[in-house]
This record gives sequence, C-alpha cells and structure tokens, in this order.
Amino acid sequence: MNNLLFFMTLIAIGYVVGTLAEKRHYRSIHEREKKFLYLPAVTIKTVTHPDKKIASAELVCGSAVISIDYFKRFLASLRNIFGGTVKSYESLIDRARREALIRMKEMAGDATVIVNVRIETSTIGRNANKKGVGCLEAIAYGTAVTLEK
Amino acid sequence: MKYTPRQPGSNVNVTPTSPLREFFLLTAGLLGMVIVIYMVLGLAMDLIVPRISTDLENRIGGLFIGSIEAKDSDSKRGSYVRSLLEDLQDRCARLPYLFKVHIRQSPTVNAVALPGGHIIVYTGLLDKVASENELAFVLAHEMGHFAHRDHLRGMGRAFVFITISTLLLGTDSSISKMLAHGLNITEMSFSRKQETRADEFALETLHCDYGHVAGATDFFEKISKAEDPGKFGHYLASHPESRKRISHLENIIRSRGFKLGKPKPLPQTWRQLKE
Repeated sequence: MNNLLFFMTLIAIGYVVGTLAEKRHYRSIHEREKKFLYLPAVTIKTVTHPDKKIASAELVCGSAVISIDYFKRFLASLRNIFGGTVKSYESLIDRARREALIRMKEMAGDATVIVNVRIETSTIGRNANKKGVGCLEAIAYGTAVTLEK
Repeated sequence: MKYTPRQPGSNVNVTPTSPLREFFLLTAGLLGMVIVIYMVLGLAMDLIVPRISTDLENRIGGLFIGSIEAKDSDSKRGSYVRSLLEDLQDRCARLPYLFKVHIRQSPTVNAVALPGGHIIVYTGLLDKVASENELAFVLAHEMGHFAHRDHLRGMGRAFVFITISTLLLGTDSSISKMLAHGLNITEMSFSRKQETRADEFALETLHCDYGHVAGATDFFEKISKAEDPGKFGHYLASHPESRKRISHLENIIRSRGFKLGKPKPLPQTWRQLKE
C-alpha cells in the first residue's frame, strides 16, 4: 500500500511539474523562434551566389537534452502494453528538435542563411539507469553562410 | 523563389491530446484485463478442484514437500500427534489420504493443510493445547479442509497454473518447481464458509471418536481471551471471528444434543517431550 502511495505521488509530481515545465519551455521556444525568423535554416546543400560574394561559411550546431518525467514514462509503458502512438513522447522530441535548432541559430549569430541543416536524435543515460528514465538529445547542425554586404 | 519567414500555425508533430484522459483510459484498460484474468482463473479453479485425483494431488504436494520436510523437528511430540491423527482417521474421518504430519518450530499458534495429505503443525500450537480433545479438534479441523478440498482452493489462483504445468510437464520440470516455489503455501486463506464447514466436520469427528465433544471450543476460547494479539495474529487472520465460531459450535452442540464429557488429558510426559 505504501509502495502504491509512493508511486502515485511520483506520478502526480511528474504530471504537475512536467506539464508546467513543458508549457514554459514551449512559450520560450515560440518567442525565440520568432526572434530568429530573419535567419533561414534550410536543407539545400549550398547557396547559388558566386564564391567571391561569400564572406564566411562555418559549421554551426546546437544541441538540447530533454529528460522524460515520471508521468510520461508511465504513460509510455502503458502504451507498450496496448500499442499505438506514444503520444506522451511526441512533445519531448518536438521540444528537443526545436530547441536544438534555436541554439544552432544562436550560434550562427548574424549569418545570412544556414544551409545543409541536419537534425539527429539520440537517447542518453538509458544504460546508466536501468529503470528506463532516459534522456533525449537532439543535435542540429549545418553550415552558416554569411554573404558580403 | 522568394523566402518568406513565418512560424508554422500548428504543430503537426505533437498530437493534441489530453494526457490525463489517456492515462485514465489506459489504466482502466489494464485494470479491466487484470479483473478478467482474475475471474477466468476463479472459474477455472472451480472447474479444476473437484476433478483433481488424489494421485495428481500427491504429485503436486510432492513439489512443496522438500522445503517443508527440511524444517521438520520435535519428533517426540510429532509421533504422538501422528498416532492421534491415525486414530481419528481409522475410527471416524475416513478420508482417502495418507496423512503426514510435519512439526515445525515456530511460535505461531496454527496448523496448515497442504496438498497431498500433508499437515504442518506449529510448535506454538502444541505448547498451547491443554487436552487431547483440543488437539484432536484442531487436527480434525484441518482434516475437514481436506474433506472439502479447501486446501486446494486456499492456495489461490496460482494453483491453476501449478496444476496445468504438473499435468503437462510433470513434477520434475523446472517450471513446475519454480511455480511451486513462488507460492507461499503456509499463508493460505480460507473463507468464513470454508472454516465453518471444517469446524462442523471437526465437531462430528470429535463426537464420533470420543462420544462427547469436550474441548471443541477450548481452542477458540483461548484465542478470544488472549491479551497479546500479536502472538495469535496469524491464527486470527486466517481463522477470523473466533467468538462467532464458538457460538456456532455451541449452537450445533445444543441442537444435536451432543454431550460435553470430561476431556482426556495429554500424556504425562507432554511437558518433557517438548525438549
């Protein structure tokens, strides 16, 4: 009975804190995405401008690590029984990817465009903690190109 | 092509959903599944128990006996209990079992019926009984569980799995052994109805064997008077409401006109046998 109570408390804490943290993070993501709208990040491999017009081209990357909360983990393990889309993980991956993109743009500073953008994800800390409370890392990288004025 | 910077209106990568709703839906689904399995096992139990032959029961009992025999002790009082049990079986309680008594060193005031005719008697019980009749009543009560096959039901729903694995794989299979090992056989639970029936059986046996029913309620009197509930906790937990059981037994004694004779004392050497 005590175990169950402990478990329910963890889930409740996970839900309340996790939801608040997620809302705050999304607000911040929206704000910063708006701020960086002037800087396009695209997947085309290169710009069509002649070489002498390009002032600099350098590697930029941004990465974000987001941890799962207890509630989401429980919801996902329930999903493991019944199958279906693991909706509770979707927002985690979305946040990690968008945060990584924003950080990449922050690193690019006043570049004109970021080309050849790639996003990769990986889980970390899963083996270190057998209980399965893993973290998710998204890393975004690309080439920041600055054109001559 | 002109690049127009804008933020996406909606997020296609995150399903708009209420996580709490999903949580309750999935938990309810899981709970439903557990309940269905529990009920199916309960039905299977009712189907299986009356059909189990003594032979199969002996084989299932064999799965547990290794760990129980290892803890046997107190052979002197054990042989007295054994002969008392044999007398009861020969004269009155004719059951198709080859009963085997195991004495276990423990302060618990209890006796337990196990598949295959094995009865565990705890030394806590032997220390408490005051007369042969009282001991005979407790033994006959356990025999009553055998007569009604309560001891199979009392093992709980895991018994279904043990029976199936014994039938399919035999007792030597590691799966059967593992299943039997996982079951805490000494903590069986009986319903009030099962206890009442076993009490009635014990009363009949006692009357048949001694011609009177002295000592039948002594054991429960002791428990209900006991000041230290911890000491009797186990017996009270699996045999609830000793007050009610006493009055039920007294009702039967009155309505059937059973005589209350003089209880037969335990052998003179009982106290010495303890060592």
